[in-house]
Amino acid sequence: MSDRITVEELAELMKTAAGVTVAPQDLEQRYDSGFDAFGIDSLGLLGIVGELENRHGTPMPPDAERCKTPRQFLDLVNTTLMAGA
Amino acid sequence: MSAPHVRRAGVTGIGVVAPNGTSTDTFWKATQAGVSVLDRVTREGCEHLPMRVAGEVRSFEPAAAIEERLLVQTDRFSHFAMAAADLALQDARLGQSDLGGSPFAAGVVTAAGSGGGEFGQRELQRLWGKGSRFVGPYQSIAWFYAASTGQISIRRGFKGPCSVVAADEAGGLDALAHAARTVGRGTDVMVAGSTEAPLAPYSGVCQLGYEELSTAEDPVRAYRPFTADACGFVPAEGGAMLVVEEVGSARERGVPVRAVLAGHAATFTGASRWEESREGLVHAIRGALGEARCAPEEIDVVFADALGVPAADRAEALAIADVFGAHGRRVPVTAPKTGVGRGYCAAPVLDTAAAVFAMEHGLIPPTPNVFDICHDLDLVTVRARAAELRTVLVLSRGLMGSNSALVLRHGAGDASW
Repeated sequence: MSDRITVEELAELMKTAAGVTVAPQDLEQRYDSGFDAFGIDSLGLLGIVGELENRHGTPMPPDAERCKTPRQFLDLVNTTLMAGA
Repeated sequence: MSAPHVRRAGVTGIGVVAPNGTSTDTFWKATQAGVSVLDRVTREGCEHLPMRVAGEVRSFEPAAAIEERLLVQTDRFSHFAMAAADLALQDARLGQSDLGGSPFAAGVVTAAGSGGGEFGQRELQRLWGKGSRFVGPYQSIAWFYAASTGQISIRRGFKGPCSVVAADEAGGLDALAHAARTVGRGTDVMVAGSTEAPLAPYSGVCQLGYEELSTAEDPVRAYRPFTADACGFVPAEGGAMLVVEEVGSARERGVPVRAVLAGHAATFTGASRWEESREGLVHAIRGALGEARCAPEEIDVVFADALGVPAADRAEALAIADVFGAHGRRVPVTAPKTGVGRGYCAAPVLDTAAAVFAMEHGLIPPTPNVFDICHDLDLVTVRARAAELRTVLVLSRGLMGSNSALVLRHGAGDASW
């Protein structure tokens, strides 16, 4: 499981780990909005990172939980996964 | 407390999430009717425990009351607290815009006995079952006994003094007193109270060590304080939050002051040392009466702690006699908690809520399931008793030795003292 993380998977993780419901299309349109604008705090993002690490069996860089926007986050996470593949 | 410059604290809002009602209307209707909702424990993972009977909150839908974002990061005890705080603030007609533009004018104080046991158990099972990487980050805050104060404060934007009282069951009354003192020091509004969620497997097992816990099977017989059949207490979940507000601030807003928190005192006499709790209660009651400048004969009804353990019941009955006189004026005593169970710190807060309704309706609610009193007490049983209630005393004791007493005065006409 080292495929790229899709916007759908991020939307699903935002719901399960942080309780924030957002449709993948909406997430895509708001790619550069801050996670805080979605209602996700630092612990919520930390939970998303932890869940991704468990699913993909690979550690994420420390910067992952400091990403401000979905775009930054997906870029960093997918770069990491591609590098590990 | 009658000097004109003294800032007095009154109750302007009540929010209840209790086994016998998740609105103040249903709670008071069931309480004054003496309905008992004690029943077999049905919460998942608890059915096999020797704690057979409890007061469960069955008509509460967390998802209907709390945002999903907050549900995933909090335990059931905080769900109850946030919901009860919303109800209390709504009852007090207090929105963000009523704080005079200052979020520092409002604070929060809760009391907690066990914190978020259910959330904590789930995460610790992940820790030992799957490994540390599977523990969710919200474990860092959700189990903590301060979680409810923090979540209410953040959610409602209250930046005034916030605190948590960890003082045993009696801490529920201490939290209300702490709110009153905070109001006295200059904060206009405090959201104060307690909610608990002890009906979960880990929390349940913790309680099995209490020799005072009732293990009776029959809900009707499981919790019968002040009788020869007393066999311990029955636990409960849920609780209440009150809006404690400066009397002048309430008047400015045009909101009725429903009761004044007039006096409080607390003592400590040691875990399960029930005989000694007599003296502890006497000192607490006298301290509370003193602060309220209230003579014993002014007390119109006592909401008893009513532990349901013979030695503790005897100590409480004797303490009431010590203060009010064994053969003199007989003050009515009631313990509506026999119909819902003891929600630890939440129990005396529910009693305080019931006391405010009792004063408003001129009705002393009865003590469900209790007949044949074996102590020298005028315990109100079977049905509510009509009475003009101006001043009420609420008592609470904790299993670890805390004793607390709170005097409330009826809100109307409170300018006279």
